[in-house]
Amino acid sequence: MRNKTAMCVLMIALVLVHLALLFAGFFAPYDPAAQNRDLSYAPPTRIHFVGSTGFHWGPFTYGMVKDFDGYREDQSQQIPLRLFAKGDSYTLLWVFHCKTHFFGADRPARLQLFGADAYGRDEFSRLLYGGQISLAAGLVATLITLAVATIIGTVSGYYGKWIDEMLMGSAELFLALPWFYFLVGVRAFLPLHVSPKETFLLLIIVIGVIGWARPARLIRGIVLSARTRNYVVAARAFGGSDFYLLRRHILPETFAVLIPQATLLIPQYIAAEATLSFFGLGISEPVPSWGNMLSTLQQYNVLVSYSWLLAPAGALVITSVMYWRLADRLHYWLQSH
Amino acid sequence: MPGPLLHVKDLRVRYLPESGGKVQALEGLNLEILPGEVTGILGESGSGKSTLASTLLRLLPASAECSGCVVFEGEDLLTAAESKLRRIRGSKIALIPQDPAVSLNPVTRVGEQISEVLRAHLRLSRSERKQRVRQLLVEVGFEDVDRIVDAYLHQLSGGQRQRVVIAQAIACRPSLIIADEPTSKLHSELHCQILALLANTVAQHDTALLLITHDPTILAGFADRLMVMYAGRLIEQGPAESVMRRPLHPYTRALIGLSHGHTSGNRASHLPSIPGEMPNPLHVMPGCRFEPRCSEKMGVCATTDPQTFSPESSRLVSCLKYGN
Repeated sequence: MRNKTAMCVLMIALVLVHLALLFAGFFAPYDPAAQNRDLSYAPPTRIHFVGSTGFHWGPFTYGMVKDFDGYREDQSQQIPLRLFAKGDSYTLLWVFHCKTHFFGADRPARLQLFGADAYGRDEFSRLLYGGQISLAAGLVATLITLAVATIIGTVSGYYGKWIDEMLMGSAELFLALPWFYFLVGVRAFLPLHVSPKETFLLLIIVIGVIGWARPARLIRGIVLSARTRNYVVAARAFGGSDFYLLRRHILPETFAVLIPQATLLIPQYIAAEATLSFFGLGISEPVPSWGNMLSTLQQYNVLVSYSWLLAPAGALVITSVMYWRLADRLHYWLQSH
Repeated sequence: MPGPLLHVKDLRVRYLPESGGKVQALEGLNLEILPGEVTGILGESGSGKSTLASTLLRLLPASAECSGCVVFEGEDLLTAAESKLRRIRGSKIALIPQDPAVSLNPVTRVGEQISEVLRAHLRLSRSERKQRVRQLLVEVGFEDVDRIVDAYLHQLSGGQRQRVVIAQAIACRPSLIIADEPTSKLHSELHCQILALLANTVAQHDTALLLITHDPTILAGFADRLMVMYAGRLIEQGPAESVMRRPLHPYTRALIGLSHGHTSGNRASHLPSIPGEMPNPLHVMPGCRFEPRCSEKMGVCATTDPQTFSPESSRLVSCLKYGN
């Protein structure tokens, strides 16, 4: 029972995170690329209920003024926070043009929940938009990996002999490769000045293709054992073709492994994208991704002075942990069924 | 007299286990199956019966090596292209596997699994297939066809499972059915029922049946011809009735003697058996394979491999007793 509750909470949290990222435009109060040089490295906006005139039911905030030693709240004017505030225009789900945001504050205040980066861009909005990229990279790269792994693993396990030896030999080679340096090498080999969209595609293809070896070995093992099952031999005896045997009897068995594998690979690939972007080999500015948002932290003074810029790292950790928990749960669930 | 439906010539199979060595499973088998004839193959476990069944359809595991030929409709099945073989499997030669509990996919409805056989060979519409499946299920003796069509393996009893695989085997009206121990996993009361069903179907459609078993009692009155296997060889063959009544080979005699003893109600404490064991197939000794256990052995038996002799018309036996 406790397990069930934990699973429900986990699922709900995962769904909420994905919805928030999917509708980033709506939940983000600002345009992720809009710069505001007056607010470079501004700290997170504080939300107040008690002002000079006493307690207010509605939360409010103050505008920020730059002082000689940092930012200070301009307490002369209380600016209420609004739900469904009008703001920057954005495209929801790549189709609908909207201006309404989930929440916001009137000018001159800016509601920057996680502060601002060097160019005064809202870190929270960038976190949501960047999450879209990072998560999409993880998901698509995982699909690519599993597709490649399923094909190679199945062919290897089903046809055996020299095909198996050759494919599994190269799988071992891929496993032995220090994948990070390999990724860097492959990425460096590809053109450096390409549009963010192309970079994104290149990146996920590279990440996705490199990771095939481990799942392919798993799938090969399953196919190998499934192939000799009596009902598979019986189906062959009544004239089932290879394709039929694979589709009907063998591939369904690999799902029990593919699904937990997928949930393990997604956070791994999100981290891979973040790592590459962190080193400037991934998604390029101004498009945000969790990795390139963190790359400013390479500068020591930024790391120690503007701790709010670590927010993408927190998001990365939380998402990864959620996926790992899900993989764990799924593994047990599939084992017991 | 029509020519044989299936002709096996000098069939040899050996397994090459990964642990090394080689296991000779079949050694120079020669046999013919006539159209519409019921042939019984009798042998202890380990005699190579099941290997024979899977060799005929080329379903051996990769670790097996075979030579010789299996001619069916003018085609050597051992060298035929995989695509040609696929068209023969199930449609012309069907296999009733040994254990229906593991020969059906546990997560697919059985009706669908019968329908898949039809789909592999015949061009039928979905509704025609559905109808054929129901007909087949009626044919193998089901009354509640509606339930069976949508049932999963675990919802069926042993006898029902066996009938489902029989329905699969007869789906395309093959000219030969190979039944590998079709009753070994069943309750003894069900034996007769399943055998009667098999006998009926093959008689109705003039199908040849190769019935593999270790139990001579189930062949009595059913098989037309009988072949006895021991340690990968055919040691005796002939018309079933005369072999049963007057076995020539000492092994056949012992085996048939056992079953008589068994049916006459011996107590479990002295269940009859043939003393000794099947020779280890990893270490092949010279001479007759049955020599160590034989009660009628002669001096030459330990050194000379017996030829096949024909002491009477239509009877063949591999025993040196009938040498001259």
